[in-house]
Amino acid sequence: MTFTENESGVGLLIRRRGSPIGYLLREAESRVSPETLREWISQEFGPKILEEAILEELTPPVRNAAPPTLTVAICTHARADVLARCLASLAPLQSLPNFEILVVDNAPPDATIAELVSKHPGVRYTTEPRPGLDFARNRAWQEARGEWVAYLDDDTTVDAQWFEGLVEGWRENPDAAAITGLVLPGELSTRAQILFEKRGGFRRGFDTRRFGSTLPGNALHPAGAGIFGTGCNMAFRKDVLRDLGGFDEALDTGRPLPGGGDLDMFFRVIAAGHVLVYEPHCLVFHEHRKTEAALRHQYYTWGLGLMAYVGKHLRPGEPRRELFERLTRWWFRDMLRQLKDAVRGRHPLPISMVLAELWGGAVGLCGEYRRSQRRIEKIKAAHP
Amino acid sequence: MTEDRWLVSRLDVAQPLTDLSAPADVGGIHLQLWHRELPLGQLWLPRGVFPMPPMELARAISRAIAPAVGNRIFPHGFRAPLPVTGDNPARDIPPDLDALLSVQTPISDLRSPNCLPRPHLSVIPKTTVPPLRDGCTELPSPISDLRSSNFDLRSSIVVCTRNRPEALEKNLASLASLDPPADEILVVDNDPADERTRAVVQKFPNVTWLPEPAPGLSRARNTGIRHARGEILAWTDDDTIVHPGWIGAVRSVFADPDISAMTGLVLAGALENPAQLHFERDFGGFGRGFRAFTLDAQFFEEMKTRGVPAWQAGAGANMAFRREVFATLGPFDERLGAGAAGCSEDSEYWYRLLAAGQSIRYEPRAVVWHFHRATDDGLQLQMEEYMRGHVAALLFQYQKHRHAGNLRRLFLSLPRHYWSAIRHRTAGRTLAREVRGCLRGIFYYLRNNS
Repeated sequence: MTFTENESGVGLLIRRRGSPIGYLLREAESRVSPETLREWISQEFGPKILEEAILEELTPPVRNAAPPTLTVAICTHARADVLARCLASLAPLQSLPNFEILVVDNAPPDATIAELVSKHPGVRYTTEPRPGLDFARNRAWQEARGEWVAYLDDDTTVDAQWFEGLVEGWRENPDAAAITGLVLPGELSTRAQILFEKRGGFRRGFDTRRFGSTLPGNALHPAGAGIFGTGCNMAFRKDVLRDLGGFDEALDTGRPLPGGGDLDMFFRVIAAGHVLVYEPHCLVFHEHRKTEAALRHQYYTWGLGLMAYVGKHLRPGEPRRELFERLTRWWFRDMLRQLKDAVRGRHPLPISMVLAELWGGAVGLCGEYRRSQRRIEKIKAAHP
Repeated sequence: MTEDRWLVSRLDVAQPLTDLSAPADVGGIHLQLWHRELPLGQLWLPRGVFPMPPMELARAISRAIAPAVGNRIFPHGFRAPLPVTGDNPARDIPPDLDALLSVQTPISDLRSPNCLPRPHLSVIPKTTVPPLRDGCTELPSPISDLRSSNFDLRSSIVVCTRNRPEALEKNLASLASLDPPADEILVVDNDPADERTRAVVQKFPNVTWLPEPAPGLSRARNTGIRHARGEILAWTDDDTIVHPGWIGAVRSVFADPDISAMTGLVLAGALENPAQLHFERDFGGFGRGFRAFTLDAQFFEEMKTRGVPAWQAGAGANMAFRREVFATLGPFDERLGAGAAGCSEDSEYWYRLLAAGQSIRYEPRAVVWHFHRATDDGLQLQMEEYMRGHVAALLFQYQKHRHAGNLRRLFLSLPRHYWSAIRHRTAGRTLAREVRGCLRGIFYYLRNNS
């Protein structure tokens, strides 16, 4: 493996028999020899490779029922170029039975998206005039014909085995109400994108995990919804979404609060007694923010979105307030620790980005959910 | 409270997996994972994870047993970490990728005769390692099968007991069904209050009863040494049940002439109450894991200045020695152990062995199940006595060997440990008694150091 002058390292997705088992992010100069590569792999993933072999030999019985019908929903807003790429990656799946793709065009300024979708026969198109991602997400499950709805962000592309991963999740967990998947970078071509991955990116590991009512060793369960997955690659049983009243429209509204809606839904699904499964074989690639300013803003919105979600559940009368109080204390303590590391130069992120996330959290906790609720009331009033 | 009662269950990974569900009246299932007669790992499954789909159980099992399976079938990459605190150099090299990728049936490979116990040096030889053959070991093993192994070494089992005839009876019943059997079983009746222990022993025709009126576990152990005739002396406690292959596995370890003593795996026999649960789950029980390791002179030298954690070798509930060791290094220290300082007569002997340049092998294939103290009072007392014995042993060791690491452990590491436990609120509920035990250990030393 050789690198050009512009490349300072490599992000390596390791697969075993097609299934992703690990991700290596390493800096390297000019060349990595096969021997080094082998050593990296056996050192980092030796136990994982053996675990997979043991799992195959154990051959637990798996229900061989037909997978449910699926709607893949892509909520987009004025980004035809990235949407086109996402649709192209889904094209091989289009011929599957019981499978549909639905593009929700959120507050469309013009007909660009509609025209793009019309060039993809078999892709359905609908609009959601009220601006806000969770308005669009709710439109999606209301319009969906499938029993399950898989949400993809428009700036993702799906892995060739993404659907197989989802099917695996269903077969192994017939009782699951939600399945989330792995998100890896589609490219690492700017410093901001590399920084984001070094900090952990959207990765939630390569072990399939089943989240139910208890999680040994995690006192914040199920409030710490960040470990369950992320909104750019998640799927839900439609009837569960309906029973829970859909996504909270006051979260994930787009500017100024582009986050928290996924976390809130994960928490509500588990708190309602359902099972959520994280299945890393269900893999998508995401195009990370390219500039450091955009990345800094993303961390700000992470803090903001998380604390808006927390703020919602801290309101008087919410049943799990005490849990969310603990989560708040934990988060601020952890962020301060990270800030300390950043000041000492022991954190992958520069100080400004850690501060941005911390500041976002502070703003989020100070009434952001209420402010957002008032904003969406105005939007609802404007679109009767 | 159902939360404080767990079901202890055994699962054989060679059998097809079935659905697992927890009875309503337990807090969860503590699953001990085996491949036939080989222990591979354990799982703690709280009631909330049920119903657990078979695939989810299979994943949890694969994660739990992978280290032990890798340790048995590959020469490198899955060695047990030595019980070392701090920045010790890595002793392992990564597994060979081709071997790793070519493994098709790791569980069945465990049955390969080459995978039976192999000498497990803690130090990687500087010379090149012979290439992997058939997914197995680097050194030809002299043993093909434990059951048919025909060692010349005669084995004596010594059980020291003190007024616990009910527990002893269960223990002796399990010893009676050993296969292969021991050559001799001795029960040392320590400080008997009545005839009940003797009566129990008389129910077992091949068991010898030895009275030791003076109280103290070390005294009882030493009485056993004087009367036992085997070349290998194995001890288990009266509150255990042994695996039928226990003594066979013990003997196989001594096929390696470099090994002077061994310890084995101690699993929880029952988790019926908060005390047993706390001791096993939160305190870690007597478990030393499912991978074999060897403590040797090099390990001792590396750890000497920091205090050698000799107690990490294992527990007196499952240990064995070559008889000649006692001729050269003397008997157990009678100031230590239950009935005296509280405990640590075993770990003081590990220290003595390692200081003399000898090697101790931990072999999880030799299994006993221990029934921990059932009451909170019993647990509190036990923890206090543990720390009293531990501290006294550190001081006696320092007095004898003059290795400053013992003092470092006592006056630096231990206070630091407790301070950090208090500061981070990770201290268990026995903390106060443990600290009290430490202080009593110092006084015990001052009174008995002549």
